[in-house]
Amino acid sequence: MPEYNKQGPGGLAVVAKSRYYSGASYPFGVLTATQEAMKLSALTQIVVLLCTCMGLASTSFAQSSESTNLTDLSAPEFRLMGFGDISYISQDGSDKDGFVIGQAVMHLSASLGESLSVFGEFSATGKDSEYSFEVERLLVKYDFSDTYKLSAGRYHTPIGYWNSAFHHGTWLQTTISRPEMLKFGSKLVPIHFVGVLLEGSVPISDFGLTYKAGLGNGRHANIARSGDAGDINGDKAWMVQLNSRPRNMFGLDFGLGFYSDEVSPELSPDVKEYTVSAYAAWTKESPEIIFEYLHSKHELTTDSSVSGDVDAWYAQFAYRLKGKYEQWKPYARLEYQDIDDADPLLGAEGLNYEAGILGVRWDFNPYAALKAEYRNEEFGSSGRENNFRLQISFVLAKL
Amino acid sequence: MAARLRMQISSLRQLFICLIALLIMPFESTRADDSATSSPIAIVVHKDTAVENLSLADLRSIFLADQQFWQNRKRIILLVRAPQSDERDFVLNKIYEMSEMQFRKYWIAKMFRAEVPRGPKIVFSTDMTLELVIAIPGSISFIRAHDVTDDVKLVRVDGKLPSEAGYPLQ
Repeated sequence: MPEYNKQGPGGLAVVAKSRYYSGASYPFGVLTATQEAMKLSALTQIVVLLCTCMGLASTSFAQSSESTNLTDLSAPEFRLMGFGDISYISQDGSDKDGFVIGQAVMHLSASLGESLSVFGEFSATGKDSEYSFEVERLLVKYDFSDTYKLSAGRYHTPIGYWNSAFHHGTWLQTTISRPEMLKFGSKLVPIHFVGVLLEGSVPISDFGLTYKAGLGNGRHANIARSGDAGDINGDKAWMVQLNSRPRNMFGLDFGLGFYSDEVSPELSPDVKEYTVSAYAAWTKESPEIIFEYLHSKHELTTDSSVSGDVDAWYAQFAYRLKGKYEQWKPYARLEYQDIDDADPLLGAEGLNYEAGILGVRWDFNPYAALKAEYRNEEFGSSGRENNFRLQISFVLAKL
Repeated sequence: MAARLRMQISSLRQLFICLIALLIMPFESTRADDSATSSPIAIVVHKDTAVENLSLADLRSIFLADQQFWQNRKRIILLVRAPQSDERDFVLNKIYEMSEMQFRKYWIAKMFRAEVPRGPKIVFSTDMTLELVIAIPGSISFIRAHDVTDDVKLVRVDGKLPSEAGYPLQ
């Protein structure tokens, strides 16, 4: 049985009797040889040093990619990731064209044994005169099996596809920004959710069915926020989502979801909220197709005849080129959202929106991408406007 | 004087050995690669794992971490070769159907979505793969078929062994 322990500056080290590093590039024996070589002539030392460097260079990934005992899965294991982006935005008729620091996001995951894990996501977002810090997600999760995984904490509400798939990782998403209906701070969709979530796979045939069922606080009095410090009205929000990734159609992902809550806005009467969402995504990148639709109904709790509907959708098409142009991925997206004027929750917010987006993503580095995007969009009835965006986004991760 | 001469001779001998080693290394690895690439990829698991056969779809589900537990509720520990190995290239192409860039992005996204508590464990050689599959209950990995030993369990894929015609990971 091999022995493993923590040694050396890079984290993982293997006791020298192990046969892990086959061939002449195995570094640990060479280090001993280097110490011997200190007695040799200067020329010999340089050559030996070069050999050592070659060996270390070829195995540096080994030392830094894992920082824990490899065989003891009960030992805590921590992993840090970071995301960030910097954009340049130019807009029709605006005198505020310029650079924008996007969200700086830190993601922490910790495995506390074989089944228990903790995830945290923290962001810093540049505002006019300060940065706002936010706990985007913080959850503790216990995996009983593939079918039952129970967690508690703050999530991105499992509504539709985008909100769960990309979170705050700008680098992960093809485009520069999220669809308007799912933007951070959106009032259309409760982006965050505090509560408990049961999720897992449903072992039926080859449908690749998974489910999510959650119970939580719902929206805050500021309806763009979740009730982080407690439920404001005692009426819990709940949601279910069913997804399928058919095993014989690798790449296809589609799902349906339902969300219900009673919302108590700060300055208006309580409203019942029901949201149905549906999506279909072809997740292979050549092509990448994402379509998501959302329909909400809002009605006064005191008078159900006062109600309004929200319809919103987007369709995104992208295509990663092949061969030597693999780093390039052109894309296009159409967006639409329509809110009834009579909607008691959102009717007065002026959230109608239409947009057409064209862009290209260039993955010039394995961990960074440059994106250029032209947008033609209309907010409310203010007339269409054009803008151009350039963004560099990156991930700090090791795999 | 004689001692100094002996030291210089010793130094020159060391230098000569280093230079010869540098010259031989690439040829040795090339020769090893040539023989290795002709052998099919075998799926191996820890001896105690109660699995004899996996369909290619099952295998994909495990390698994508869509399935994270064996039937006996033991967590599956996936061991994947580091970049720049033929075995990894084969598995990315045949099982993941992804490029290196897509594979990296897939796992970063998977961890970011909190769908997995940890990514795959990276291994750097066939010997390391074998030793960890032997040592870690629930582990699964892939090596060239001619490197399989009796210390690990060889799993059939779509009902076939690597030596049989129609084996999917040829």
